Amino acid sequence: MVELLTEAISIGWPAFAFLIGLLFYFQAKATDPVQKKNVTFKTFIGMLCALMAFIAIANYKNNFYGESRLLPVSLVMITCLAYIMGIYFTNIGALMKIGGFMFFVAAALSGYGNWLPQVEGGFPPPEVKLDFQSMTAQQLGDEGEKIIFGGLGQSKVQGAIGKGQCPLCHGFNQGFLSERAPNLWDVPARAEERLKHEKYHMNDPGSRDTVQKEAFEGSGTATTGQEYIAESHACPSCFVVPGFGVKGTNDKESPMPRIHKPPISLTLGELAAVDTWLYVREGKDAPTYEEIQASYEKFIPEADRPQASADGDEAAAGGVLATGEEPITDLFMKAGCPACHTIPGIEGATGKVGPLLMEGSNAPKRLKDPGYGGHATSAREYITESILNPSMYVVKDFPDNQMPKDFGLKLSAGAVNKIVDYLSSLKEGQDLPSLEDFN
Amino acid sequence: MGRLTSGRAGKKFLAVTGLFAMGVMLLLPIFVALPALAGGGAPAAGGPPPDVVAAQEAEGAEGEEAKVEIGRDVYYKTEGPVVGAPAPKTQDTAEFYPRYNFESRVLLWVANQQHLYYGSFVLAVPIFCMCIEFAGLLSKDKAMAKKYDQLAYDFIKISLTAYSLTAILGGILIFTFLTLYPAFFGYLSSIFRPVMHIYALMFVAESGTLYIYYYGWDKMKEGLLKWLHASMSVVLNVIGTVLMFLANSWIGFMMSPAGVDEQGRYLGNIWHVIHTALWNPLNVHRILGNMAFGGGVVAAYAAYRFLSAKNDEERAHYDWMGYIAMALGVAFLIPLPFAGYWLMREVYAYRQQMGITLMGGLLAWLFIIQATMIGILFLTTNYYLWQALGRMTGGERFQRYIKYFVFILVVGLLVFITPHTIVMTPAELKAMGGQQHPVLGNYGVMSAKNGGINAIIMTTIASFIWYQRGNRVPAVKWAKFGNIFLITFFVVAHLNNIWVACYGYFIPANVRIGLSVPQVAGTLSCLFFGSALNLAMLKQSRELGPIRWGQIAPRSQYALIMLATAFTWMMGLMGYIRSSVRLFWHVNEIMRDNSPWAYTHTIGFGANVISFNVLFFWITIMFVFWLGALGAKKAPVPATQPVPGAAPQPATGH
Repeated sequence: MVELLTEAISIGWPAFAFLIGLLFYFQAKATDPVQKKNVTFKTFIGMLCALMAFIAIANYKNNFYGESRLLPVSLVMITCLAYIMGIYFTNIGALMKIGGFMFFVAAALSGYGNWLPQVEGGFPPPEVKLDFQSMTAQQLGDEGEKIIFGGLGQSKVQGAIGKGQCPLCHGFNQGFLSERAPNLWDVPARAEERLKHEKYHMNDPGSRDTVQKEAFEGSGTATTGQEYIAESHACPSCFVVPGFGVKGTNDKESPMPRIHKPPISLTLGELAAVDTWLYVREGKDAPTYEEIQASYEKFIPEADRPQASADGDEAAAGGVLATGEEPITDLFMKAGCPACHTIPGIEGATGKVGPLLMEGSNAPKRLKDPGYGGHATSAREYITESILNPSMYVVKDFPDNQMPKDFGLKLSAGAVNKIVDYLSSLKEGQDLPSLEDFN
Repeated sequence: MGRLTSGRAGKKFLAVTGLFAMGVMLLLPIFVALPALAGGGAPAAGGPPPDVVAAQEAEGAEGEEAKVEIGRDVYYKTEGPVVGAPAPKTQDTAEFYPRYNFESRVLLWVANQQHLYYGSFVLAVPIFCMCIEFAGLLSKDKAMAKKYDQLAYDFIKISLTAYSLTAILGGILIFTFLTLYPAFFGYLSSIFRPVMHIYALMFVAESGTLYIYYYGWDKMKEGLLKWLHASMSVVLNVIGTVLMFLANSWIGFMMSPAGVDEQGRYLGNIWHVIHTALWNPLNVHRILGNMAFGGGVVAAYAAYRFLSAKNDEERAHYDWMGYIAMALGVAFLIPLPFAGYWLMREVYAYRQQMGITLMGGLLAWLFIIQATMIGILFLTTNYYLWQALGRMTGGERFQRYIKYFVFILVVGLLVFITPHTIVMTPAELKAMGGQQHPVLGNYGVMSAKNGGINAIIMTTIASFIWYQRGNRVPAVKWAKFGNIFLITFFVVAHLNNIWVACYGYFIPANVRIGLSVPQVAGTLSCLFFGSALNLAMLKQSRELGPIRWGQIAPRSQYALIMLATAFTWMMGLMGYIRSSVRLFWHVNEIMRDNSPWAYTHTIGFGANVISFNVLFFWITIMFVFWLGALGAKKAPVPATQPVPGAAPQPATGH
């Protein structure tokens, strides 16, 4: 609270000075005692409101990126001051009350938004080049699980989802109610049965009653279970399982996107991994990598096959060293900080080229340093500034221009925030924070 | 005398000719656009547009072997000649994403939202003016006609200052785009190049019409000229609507691109680019949303003037103005959820994953906020109408039933905001034992939620019918039968709604979706049939006393302000949801966002920025209102002219 008051006064001192000046002016000018009492009282009200306003601003400023749940406090304070002003300054009463009421509504809605569970959408997964061809069936299956569910072992976690986005619509476990798309439990065996379905028309695609009869002209239909799986990935509308078509199309069109096309764009290698997982998780022998490749090549023409090392992939990663998704130790390692800095709590971070990063204690001191010429006004801002613009303030006894100046381009906003979160929690004389809180 | 008459006729002729010429000039951009659009639509029918044909012919002349590359439209699946560059593959460098020391996305968000608020306002208000001016023209009661005309003038006066600010904000938006997202904006501009100049010309036409419409108000106040003036409001709104549709085509393209191949290369058919899968639902949704929002802003203005009124006359005028603005806003709020359902349906049809991300995935919690907001809007509307009964002699006979309405509204709201599937962390999932809560998971299915909102809407319609009857008692011969029929109709509609809501728990989800049809049908029947029947019954009615305009509790005005603020907040929220659903795509599946801000913010952060936008808008619009009032005070008032903005006498009916 003291910090907040100090911050408020440091921001709003000209306004307070003006109001105090006004108070003296009224004391000197007003001759009627009643009028004098009135203006003095109103000036005090004005000072109180100004103090509330600047506390609200200081609170907003300090917590914008941090404790955002505290931000509605600012709006509530502004609401209160608006009403106080409305009561005592009748000439602008309506405006102040309306303004106060609007602030109150906005505060309530902001508070509601902050009270709900906070979910943040992560960055798109960086592209990793894998050599699927040389993997064993189990390795391929593991990669498949990662593609479908986002991680190894995640298939048992409800709601887990990976690049393939399959669990958005498909169920994968026995007995799981799958309303949007068929449950894929036991699909290797069921694929064979589908070929015999009356609407499938094996080897006779022309007889199909669907919006797309073949994956591409002349591709034909599947003749094996694996080919059926490949066809349903490459051309979901070639055969729609009854009851799962786009509403109103009478099962002539599937809502599923073609898996090798955006937004999912799985490569043939990734598709081989996905299919392999479907077999191995049920303890069945999966077709070989080459067989799965061949099944997809039948339904995806060469020009349509996404390439793992396409031009855009490197661009997609954007040259970013870290996205912020990593555990904090990995994040520091990727960014390279431990090479030069000692960072308490981070194993191996014992560098001596730069200063010790005990920033929870250091940053407030640096801000008060008369030699500080940066723009930061809070510890968080100082740390962010030091990462993005290291020359803005160089700690005494350390050389300038040693630290790279392009971290703004190499680290994502999420990564910078995570680093700032960790460093600002390091304080002299206090226990080190738990690394798990930052993973 | 004869010369005088012929002189007047000549003036009239000149005036009509001038107006006609002006109309032609203003509509010229549309005609200019037509050949381009028509040409643009040609490839779907079997050939490329003329400019491409010309290019092909030229190439043919140079050498027959030169071939034009053919691309396949990602949405329409038609083939067309590749005439554009592929979407840029951006990297996180200053070349693609130059930045200030702040998150570029938030800066663009604020610039975009402010422009949109003002744009919506200045597009909605002329529609109100048109309705009110025509209401005045068609009114047989001269006093009422004058009052309506004055109100329409007051409305357009408010929007005029806001119009300049809209243009300024549009400029700021473009500069923000150019400075922070040059590659992205460059790509979109290259795609929309054939219609960008039309957009600019339409803006000129809109400005011209608006200024003539406003400044010609007094000159064109009688006879044929008045009709021409009113017709001009139609032209103004046609231009405004086309402008908005063109602006919507950009966001429609970003969400559901068409007219380009998989690499994002333009295929020469601008109509495909404009007419994307989500364009029409977005258009309808935005028109209704703008109207509701515009009504809210004008109602807030009236509330402000009411609360600061110095005398009873002013209070009466602004009470009436607030009521009309609120009624217009709510009239467009009621169909808004249906337009929303249509939009969502089209989203699901376009990309199921997109729909799931919205309704059952990452953005699902935002829809819980939206549901709460819709509930708040309807609750507030009802509160205002109940308060408004207080200014009517005879209105008190309805007061004792209000508690039952409150009960229905609150229960409806609680059902409506109960989530069924929510996004959780693995730890939360584990603690809960599944994706659905063991108790609450049994609730919140779509048919029940639809039941909740339909009950709320039907209750609002009933409140409105009460309000219409506030100081009147039907005197038609069949009044008793009509009353019994009306009550039975509402009761049956409610029972049908509740039954269907409960039935939904016993059938599979894909069948359950279809239950919304009988629910919506019941509500719409209440809206159209119930209101029409009530009006027919009130054609012959006994008046219990006058409406005492201005004699309404000040807290009712806070209800209007609440409506306005909630509309503004909800617009911000829905815009955020619509934009966020693209996740890490600038243009869905075509151009990837590789900036450091390609992630989706938390709900709390989103809510804070929305609140900032809302408050920023209201602070600036208050300034606009103040400016408008300043202008009115200084305006010279001719002795023979009625004073613009003067408070008319309180009416005895409405």
